[in-house]
Amino acid sequence: MSVDRVSARGPQMSRRNMLAALGVAGAAAASLPVLSACGVGGKPSAPNGASAVSGGFDWKKASGQTINILQTPHPYQLSYQPLLAEFTDLTGIKVNVDLVPEADYFTKLNTELAGGSGKHDAFMLGAYFIWQYGPPGWIEDLNPWLQNSSATNAEYDFEDIFDGLRTSTRWDFVTGNPLGTGGQWAIPWGFENNVVAYNKAYFDQRGITKLPNNFDDFIQLAVDLTDRSENRYGISTRGSKSWATIHPGFMTQYSRAGAVDYTFNGSELIAEMDSDTAIDFTKKWIDMQHRAGPTSWTTYDYPNATGDLGDGKAMMVFDADSATYPKNKPGASKEAGNLGWYAGPAGPDGNYKTNLWTWSWAMSANSRNKLPAWLFIQWATGKESMNKAVEGGTYADPVRKSVFDDTFKRVAADQFGYLEAFETVIGSSKIQFTPQKKFFDTTQNWAVALQDIYGGDDAASRLRSLAKTNTSKVNL
Amino acid sequence: MTTQTPKATATRPEQPATAPSRVLPEIPTWRRNLRPYLLSIPALVIVIGILYPFVVGAYYAFLNYAAVNPNPHFVWFDNFKSVLGDQVFWSSVRTTAIFAVVATAVETALGVGLALLLNRSSFIGKIFEKVLILPLMIAPVIAGVIWKLMFNPQFGILNHVLGLGNTFDWLSSTTALWSVILVDLWIFTPFVAILVLAGIRSLPKEPFEASEVDGASWFYMFRKLMLPMLWPYILVAVIFRFMDNLKVFDHIYVLTAGGPGVATRTLQIGAFEDSIINLDYSRGSTYMLLLWIIVFITARYLVSVLGKAQRRAAGAES
Repeated sequence: MSVDRVSARGPQMSRRNMLAALGVAGAAAASLPVLSACGVGGKPSAPNGASAVSGGFDWKKASGQTINILQTPHPYQLSYQPLLAEFTDLTGIKVNVDLVPEADYFTKLNTELAGGSGKHDAFMLGAYFIWQYGPPGWIEDLNPWLQNSSATNAEYDFEDIFDGLRTSTRWDFVTGNPLGTGGQWAIPWGFENNVVAYNKAYFDQRGITKLPNNFDDFIQLAVDLTDRSENRYGISTRGSKSWATIHPGFMTQYSRAGAVDYTFNGSELIAEMDSDTAIDFTKKWIDMQHRAGPTSWTTYDYPNATGDLGDGKAMMVFDADSATYPKNKPGASKEAGNLGWYAGPAGPDGNYKTNLWTWSWAMSANSRNKLPAWLFIQWATGKESMNKAVEGGTYADPVRKSVFDDTFKRVAADQFGYLEAFETVIGSSKIQFTPQKKFFDTTQNWAVALQDIYGGDDAASRLRSLAKTNTSKVNL
Repeated sequence: MTTQTPKATATRPEQPATAPSRVLPEIPTWRRNLRPYLLSIPALVIVIGILYPFVVGAYYAFLNYAAVNPNPHFVWFDNFKSVLGDQVFWSSVRTTAIFAVVATAVETALGVGLALLLNRSSFIGKIFEKVLILPLMIAPVIAGVIWKLMFNPQFGILNHVLGLGNTFDWLSSTTALWSVILVDLWIFTPFVAILVLAGIRSLPKEPFEASEVDGASWFYMFRKLMLPMLWPYILVAVIFRFMDNLKVFDHIYVLTAGGPGVATRTLQIGAFEDSIINLDYSRGSTYMLLLWIIVFITARYLVSVLGKAQRRAAGAES
């Protein structure tokens, strides 16, 4: 700090300098509050509320109350939007909906839950988030609610929801333990298989009738379809710096190739992104992006990938089937009516392992309206509302077997290859990731490594570095 | 403060009253004593509003607080050791430094140049002066979204206009940092230009007229007269921009989220990733505390340089 005056008592700071220093410190300090202003360090979670509900089941049990729900704009959300009035008529509960775009949705949710405000009683949640929101007690275990006949309608039929989906939303948060153990932290609402959607009209025009059944042929087809001078490229996948880059097409094909993310040695998880199989597959995946992917692959999220398919720029997309499904609806995109689906290339042993994503409903542990929130979740994931949502035409892959077999098969019958692709993969479709509490940190690191390799880094050494970092992180 | 009593007015009846005298009520002493404290309350609230999160954030930096560890304990300097030993942190420091230095330098040079051009009072100059403010009216996040669309190789206007086809990637690992700097220049160069233009217009005319009479060239006048007098204004712009650029987040996050890889990962983005995405609050706070130290030191240095420049411009120092 500069000193302007020197007196007999030594250097002294002038008042002006003192004020200037305080001003600078204040201005610099203003750069810090972003973290603690987020409300980090919120109050402890409230106890489970299911035991407080007694007597016979009645949809009107919380009549007159109001709940706040948080959603992200999505075909599922759009399908249920017109049905919310029916819920209010049925229960007498008013529903306030807040919508946040998907790019910011989980940031908003993280911040809100960490602050413990309980502002939103129920919210859309992906299964992986349970691994991070469960341990600090931010979300309510819904199993006691399911077991309480005073709170749950006898006709609800939870077992009608596909077993793999019910399993994917349960975990006991013990490292090394599989999914399906512990609490029921969310109720599946809609799910996505990651398969290949393609421009069938263009394929027909080119006389391509046989779809590749192994990854090398798939890459070759993507390259053959690419013509940069016509602004047309073969395959679109996510590539942005996000965990979401890993989970759709990449994790699906990675699993089919025989690679895994972690192994458990009895005491700790060991990252396997640097196994020979993983390195070989990753090289091929990145090579495919260079030769047949979008030019700015490292910025691609799912709206970019599926948007390019709908615009006729991408000839294939390896992503969620439910994200490409709406693009084929009349008026939804330039290529509407021209799209088809298939399961994608099989693994070397012919397997169709597929990574799934499930949108689910979860309840805030700090909600002050737990009963009405549970009634809402129960209604939204119930047979009646789901049938109506599917009839709307943009809701793909209902989580209930009864709704899928009846309504959805009828509605989706004219979507070329969609149901066949679904039937091909459904037996092997599950969360292919190993459950662990540092999922987002370590999976984003994985995406960063893919971007680095795309930028020219050596795949083997970069993946070895990734595996070393992730092994140390997941076992902290 | 003095008040005129009615009695005092009555003793001077010959003086015509030019304005009606205002008689202020007697203020009780306790209220008079309280006034300074009441007046300082807004400032105090603002200071607490800044300092409280700062202190809490600094406190977290010494804990092992994360979502998966909701009952933290003191780990003292472990977070600092971990962060300072991480090459990703140093890559972020490097990226932040390059961004701040390059963006500030170019914005200042362009801003001063624009201000000099706009100072010539022409019709086009006056129109341009107004148009120049437009980027400042756009929030950096929105500017980021707009530029992301323009950068898109498939349908973006830049590749089309510049004839780069659809294979040039503005946001690749080698080009992304320069592209985000370009966006920053677009948004903030007008800020520097307007600040410097205000400075130019406040300068006294006499020294320039005298120099002109003596036959001095424009460049000589600029170098020897205008620049020294203008220097405090330029420095104010530099301080604002440099501090702001050290803390840059919004348009970079929208454009690249800090990628590809870590190519545009600034310290703010690193802190955001750790605290908000990975829910490791203590590590994120450590990033922010280290950034605070960097901002404090550089700001303190720049403010002292500004003080000297102001004294020199006022003729107090040679």
